[in-house]
Formats: sequence, C-alpha cells, structure tokens
Amino acid sequence: MRGSLGALRFALLSAVQNFRRNLAVSAAGVLTMGLILVLVGGITLFLHTVNSVLDQQKREVSQVSIYLQDSTSMASIQHFVDQLSADPRIKSVEFVTKDQAEARQASDPIFTNARKALNFNPLPAAINLKTYNLADLSAVNDMAKQSPIVDNSQADSASSFNDNAVNAIQTFAHVVEVIVVVLVFILAFISLVIIMNTIRTAVFIRRAEIEIMKLVGATDWFVRWPFILEGMMGGILAAVAAAAILLPAYNVGVSRVSGLSTAIFVDQPYFWFLVFALGAAGAVLGAFGSYLGIRRFLTV
Amino acid sequence: MTVATYVPPPITALAVDPALRPVISYHGVGKTYPNGTVALRDVDLAIYQGDFCFLVGASGAGKSTFVRLLIREEVASTGRIFIEGQEITRMSRRKLPKLRRKFGIVFQDFKLLPKLTVAQNVAFAMQVTKPGQRHLREKVEETLWIVGLEDKLEKFPDELSGGEQQRVAIARALVHKPKIFLADEPTGNLDPDTSWGIVQLLLQINHRGTTVLMATHNREVVDLVRRRVIAIEGGRVIRDEAEGQYLKDGEATI
Repeated sequence: MRGSLGALRFALLSAVQNFRRNLAVSAAGVLTMGLILVLVGGITLFLHTVNSVLDQQKREVSQVSIYLQDSTSMASIQHFVDQLSADPRIKSVEFVTKDQAEARQASDPIFTNARKALNFNPLPAAINLKTYNLADLSAVNDMAKQSPIVDNSQADSASSFNDNAVNAIQTFAHVVEVIVVVLVFILAFISLVIIMNTIRTAVFIRRAEIEIMKLVGATDWFVRWPFILEGMMGGILAAVAAAAILLPAYNVGVSRVSGLSTAIFVDQPYFWFLVFALGAAGAVLGAFGSYLGIRRFLTV
Repeated sequence: MTVATYVPPPITALAVDPALRPVISYHGVGKTYPNGTVALRDVDLAIYQGDFCFLVGASGAGKSTFVRLLIREEVASTGRIFIEGQEITRMSRRKLPKLRRKFGIVFQDFKLLPKLTVAQNVAFAMQVTKPGQRHLREKVEETLWIVGLEDKLEKFPDELSGGEQQRVAIARALVHKPKIFLADEPTGNLDPDTSWGIVQLLLQINHRGTTVLMATHNREVVDLVRRRVIAIEGGRVIRDEAEGQYLKDGEATI
C-alpha cells in the first residue's frame, strides 16, 4: 500500500515535471488535440442541433390526418377509431368533427372569408393519427386509407401524409450521422499520433533517467506510468480548452438557428455530457498514445 | 579528495568451498550478435560470494558483453548463466527488475542525472525500485558517508570532480545493498590517483561482504591489488588466476 502510494506520488510528480520541462512540445500537443476536440465537439453539437430541428419537423410530419366522407355514421366512425387504437404502432387517435375542424380554422382570415362566401362547411371530418415511430407512418397511412369510410374521392388528398418530406429528412439525418462517425474516427486517429509524438519527445528528453531506472531494477510499469499520466493530463487539458471554446460558440449558434425557423434551445445537460465525454476520450487517447509512444524505448 | 588507504585482508586461496553455491556461474556461454560478430565463446567460470575479480582484456575482447549478459541487457546465444542458483538465460522479462536489484552497477561515464543533487541522485535509485521507502534520507546520507561525500549532499554533479562523481555513482549503486557490485571501466575517465581512490573504495565494499566484479584496462591497479584476474581475449577466457596480474609473465600485450 505504502509502496503503491509512493509509486503514484512519483508518477504524478514526474508527469507534471515532464510536462513543464517539455512545455513547448506539450503545449503544441495540447493545442492541436484541443483543436481536434473542438472539431469533434463542434460537429457533435451541430448534429445534435440538426437533430433537434429534425425532431421538431418529425413531430409535425409524424401526425397524419385521415379525411372521412361526410355521410359516415357515428357508429362506423367509432368502430374505425377503436380499430386504429388497437394498433400497437399508433400512439394516439383523435377524431375531429366537421364543426371542430371549422372552429380550429376560425383564426385564419383567409379561411373565414372563404367560409362566408361558401354556404357550407367545406372541411371534412378527420381522424388525426400519431405513430410512435416515424417510419411506421407510411404503412399506417396506407392501412387507414383502406377503410370504406375514408374519403377516397380524390386519391391523393385522402390524408395529409407527405411521403417525400419524411424520407428526405430521414435520409439527411442518416447521412450526417455517417459522416460524423467517419470524421470522429479520423480525428481520433490523428490525435493518437500527435500524443504519441509528444510523448516520444518527452521520453527522448528523459532517456538517461529511463536508462538508470531500468538499470537499478524499476519495473516497466513504473517507468511507463509518468508518461501515461502525462498523456492523460494533456488529453484532459485539451478537452477543457475545447469546452472553453465550444460553450460560447454553441450558445451563439443555437440563438442564430433558433431565430431562423424552429424554436430550439441550448441543451445544457447534453453540452456538459459532451464535455465530460471529450475529457474521457482525451484521457483515453492520451494514455493509449503514450503507451504506444514509449513501447520501443522499454526493450532493454 | 584523499581516502585513508585501505589494507585488504590477506587472501588465502581462490575462495572456493565446494559446498558453496557460486553467486555467478557461466556454463559454456557464447554470444553472437545479429550482425555475426562473435563476442564470447565457451565461457565457463564461477564467482563466489565475497570474491573480488578483475575482468581484463583489450577493447572488443568481450568484457562489456560479459557484463551485459550478467544483467540480461543481452541474452546469451548459447550456454547457461546462473545468478545465485537462478538461471537468468531463460528468465522472463517480467522478472528482470528483480534480477537487476541484486546488482549495483557503475560505468565509466557515471550516468548521473545532472538536474538532481548528489543526495537526489542516490535517492532516485531507491524511489524507483522501492517507492515509499521509510527513512530514505538517512539511508542516502549513510551511503554517501561510506563513499566519503557526506559534505556534498546538496551539490550538483557538475560541481564535483570526476572522482567525486564516480563516488556518487557508487553510492547510488550501493544504496539498496546489492549482493553483487559490477564496475564497468570505473576508472576509465579518471587520473591515476583518483582511480586508486575508487579502487580502494571497491575493496572496502568487498570487505563488507559484497561480491565485486570490475572490468578494467587499468594495468597499475590490477597489478597493485593482486586479486583474482579473469583475462578475456577474442571472446574466450584465456586466464583465470587467484592472485593475478594484468599481463601474464612473457605475455606481450593483451
């Protein structure tokens, strides 16, 4: 126990000492890695924001209205509603009568003017459906339209379902995700190489010390730990620097997008989770890079 | 720096008690480097607890390889080497740190860390092998007293003479009380008087019971001390005498 504490103390002290002695190289490594983490974090936040916008859009499209024939009896409507409610894919079913549909449009001056000119209510009664999963919407829509009580007089307008919009949004989200994953892997690899080289320089500076350590019988892990800690310190510092840049950028970015169209907000828990994840990734990359960096110096 | 001349106790014979197990033994040891150079061939010898041995031979004769095989910096190509009955030629890498803690090693170029003080240099050897050691400071001071540097604890290596730097290296090698003391050309960079002081110190260490093996070119020292001499030439042991000299009578050079 005393031995391990002593070893930890030694490793921490030498890691800090290494970092300071090797400041120019360490700082360059931290800055480069910080920039990479800013990129990774920035892309992730961008994607998260895009997803929030998409979620809004999806919420709007994941509702479909099925328009009913005017002459339909209450009993058959009730039967149809029960049938739809039993479907596991469907989240909610709402029946809107012709009068209710009219009332909902009351605030729209174009509609009220048109309504005055017409002598009757042109709006059909409708059933508004929401699905749990956006992908099910198309099938549910097709299934519902099979019912005889649906107004199929005009094939395309039997429901408000817009297939193309949903598909386009989904494809877009998917492509963005794939690009991000590939980019993150490439950037992670680059930071690994950067850390490796930083640690190699640190090892080179201390090679006399390492030689003596090996000579007097220090274990491989004892020699390794200071460098691994140094790598982890670099990674965590880089994450802190990245967070300092990302936080204001994220706030500004969100307020700009929010002004454009859909209302989205700064997702604080998500942001701090991301900072924590970047720190953890930095530490792991730093440790692994150091491990690779010193490997060949230990074969004495 | 002057050190009171140490008079070694009289030597009876090559201290070989058949019941004693050798501290170091080589059995048919050979070493061929990957580039084809044969550095050692068919070396058979035993060194016992408390021996003081000189390892002599020209540059390139195989002295350094002999030492490197001993601490497993290199692995023998043929034969077997035992340290305190343990075969090191087949030892796993994981066990090497423990093996190396049995040795105290000094070199011609001292290998001190220039940014650490004398006391820190000596303490370093303890910190990296036994972290969290109690009474570290006392042990360091005691060891530096043995080598006669008790008044230079806070000096840096470049403030010391060559002889003093070698004494620091000796203290660093001694602080963990090794069984075997290896000195690879310890006087190679020193003038004759200073060299003599270093050899006196090694004899003193040997007198405390530590086995000492000193690889050297220093003819004067070997001839004055009159201890066991193992001569290597062309990778072979050509001579092994209990009270030897640097050159055998009639030998022109080695």
